[in-house]
Amino acid sequence: MALSTVTLPSGFLLPSIHAAPPFFTQQPNATTQASATGHWKRLILAFARFHKLYTLSLADLEDTKSPWANVLRNERINRRLLPPYLSAILQDMNTSNQATFEPPTQKTSVLLYWNTPEQWADILYDWGVSTGQLNTILTFYEITEPALESALSGIPVVLLKKAIVLLQKNGRAQVISVADGEGVKLLPQTSVP
Amino acid sequence: MALRNCTRSVDGTIPVQALIYDDERILGSQDEVGIYDGAVKAPDHQAGTAYITSHRLFYIDKVNQRKRSFCVDLSLVGQTDYYAGLFTSSAKITLHLSPPKPIGIDAGEAGPSSVDPFSQSWTCEVCDYRNPPGLSPTAAKKCGLCGVPREAVPAPLASMSELSTSLPSASPPNLLMSQPQDAAAAASDNGPDSNACPTCTFLNHPSLRECEMCSTPLPAKKTGAKSMKSAPATRAASPDSFSSQPGSMKLSFRKGGDKQFYTLLKGSLRNKVWEDSTSIPLSEEGTSGQRSGIEGIMRNVQSTNSQAVSGMEGAFQDLETLMLKAKDMVRLAAELNEKLTTATAQQQQHTASGGTLLPDFSEPEEATFIRSSLSQLGLHMEDTPVTKDMMRDEKEWIDILAKELGRVLLGKPRAKSETAWQSDLPSTTQGLMRGRGIMALDEVWGGWNRARGVGMSSLIPPSTMMSVIPRLPTFTDPQIYTRTFTSGLIVLHTPPYTAASFAARLYQTLLLSGPQSTMDIAAEEAVSVGLAKELIAAVEQDGAVCRDDAVCAIHQRGAGEETVQWWHNVIRDWTWDGQDYDKAI
Repeated sequence: MALSTVTLPSGFLLPSIHAAPPFFTQQPNATTQASATGHWKRLILAFARFHKLYTLSLADLEDTKSPWANVLRNERINRRLLPPYLSAILQDMNTSNQATFEPPTQKTSVLLYWNTPEQWADILYDWGVSTGQLNTILTFYEITEPALESALSGIPVVLLKKAIVLLQKNGRAQVISVADGEGVKLLPQTSVP
Repeated sequence: MALRNCTRSVDGTIPVQALIYDDERILGSQDEVGIYDGAVKAPDHQAGTAYITSHRLFYIDKVNQRKRSFCVDLSLVGQTDYYAGLFTSSAKITLHLSPPKPIGIDAGEAGPSSVDPFSQSWTCEVCDYRNPPGLSPTAAKKCGLCGVPREAVPAPLASMSELSTSLPSASPPNLLMSQPQDAAAAASDNGPDSNACPTCTFLNHPSLRECEMCSTPLPAKKTGAKSMKSAPATRAASPDSFSSQPGSMKLSFRKGGDKQFYTLLKGSLRNKVWEDSTSIPLSEEGTSGQRSGIEGIMRNVQSTNSQAVSGMEGAFQDLETLMLKAKDMVRLAAELNEKLTTATAQQQQHTASGGTLLPDFSEPEEATFIRSSLSQLGLHMEDTPVTKDMMRDEKEWIDILAKELGRVLLGKPRAKSETAWQSDLPSTTQGLMRGRGIMALDEVWGGWNRARGVGMSSLIPPSTMMSVIPRLPTFTDPQIYTRTFTSGLIVLHTPPYTAASFAARLYQTLLLSGPQSTMDIAAEEAVSVGLAKELIAAVEQDGAVCRDDAVCAIHQRGAGEETVQWWHNVIRDWTWDGQDYDKAI
């Protein structure tokens, strides 16, 4: 049985395994399952990055209008992920630092790390440098909704904060309280690597 | 005509045993019987089975059991003729029938009614005993307990007039069954027999002269035979069913059996069971029962008791005789057994030195028979030779058993060196595993012991079989191996069913012909579904196959469908061909 890749209307190329019904079933065999989970994680992250999706939750399974619908279910072969399986995948992503449960108290919704907070920190700093905004106090809003579209457009504040915390640690940023909440001031790097 | 008037149609799909009355007996039957109506063949009744019972003659049609079967009351048979048959003409019995009395007068006792009022259950008005249904009309006319004749259901005219004189003070009959005869009674909308008081309108019992309530003298009311009559149950009878001209029917015996049948018929007609009014089934003494009232009940109870006592005494006598004889029997058994033991021991000494003969099959047939009879009688024999004791050591015993089991499993042995014991064994052409390849241990054990035969020396205990099985590959060709599944199921299998070769075969099948369900695989491999499950589970464990569970379907199909489809492991063998991760940005 030949499986073929499918290109979604959005331009995303679904891998051929997505057309294999066993891919949607949790496999009792641990090796097979590990391999399947690997494929799922890769698919989820690729899809999230392609569509700039930051969260994935079990609720997306039931919602046919969810941007995830094309991944979590395959109408062509009449198969969909079941909550236990997705839950296991999310758990696995959390462990391997490809996502984190957000808020951390629950297990149903994750913040996806298709860029890790470290990568986000670099992206933020590079963006600050390239747009000449070092030593300027920036509100979070100015970063997430910049006038000129950037890689950071639409980034959840939670994720942004994680990146800023990292920048703070190596002295590249400073968090400043501003009138309507918090702001950040990117500092020029003292030691150029 | 005779057929139509005198017979009642019955549902021939019901066995005759269920159609007959409780006190009726089937005396005999004959198949391939054809019916003549008068002198003419009845076209619808040309092939069927005739049953003769104590009360009736049944004809159950072979072609259309439901529609064309009927029964004739033997009470209607006036005379019979027998014709022995000539050349191609089959033997025939002619029944001269007098049709049942017209229904308007007689209450349709034997009329061609399909609903027999007598076959209902009814309650005796005197003793309140609930009489069971299913008795013959005569038996149902009397209460089974007290013997008082039944009132509610109209009886034939003759017996009725007798009753009305002998039992003038009978209780009022069932209102539903009777219909108003008297104009006055009809006007007051009462039962025909109750007498309305002109003063207080109380309905008095017909036998009373004065009103029970107000003591006003009651008007005289006609009672007697006329009032006891009643119209039949609502049933439109065709006009010609009233014709009382005598008719006849013939039974043609196409396949013989006529003489015997005729004898039975004659006997049944002679006995006239239907006229015998002893309705109490228990009465074996046959005293024509004018039993009624308390006396009748007492006598019934007495006779039942005496029968029970005599039966019990007989049983105890038998038991005592057996106990007296038991000692002798045990002694005899012991003697027999001793003789057998010495005989076979000598024989086995002889053969064991040869080293080729299997002990299990060496006993002569008679000896085996005696032994099995003794053991069936439950006479334990302590010195029965245990086959195992015959062997010099455990290992040899196990090896010989392994050879035997191999033979049982595979049929004919191949090794030339074993021709000696091969000739001694009863030849079984087919082994248990022929064409099977794989077999669960319980089945092997059962099959092996069946092959050894229960009467032969001993059964193989499971523990012995477990120690025999590891030796099997040495003595079998193709070699038979043991395999234990994760569930704990142990099977014996031929080389094509080793884990590796089965996995390879399954993988190829799935790869070539697409996903399959457990059922499909079981059918293809000719193993049971349970076994297939175990086999596949083992392959899945190794990772050669993966599953697709239909519970993951978006649109669930109908229930009862097998949910799991087996795939070759598409997941394991697959490499990423989707959206390139890094090109996304």
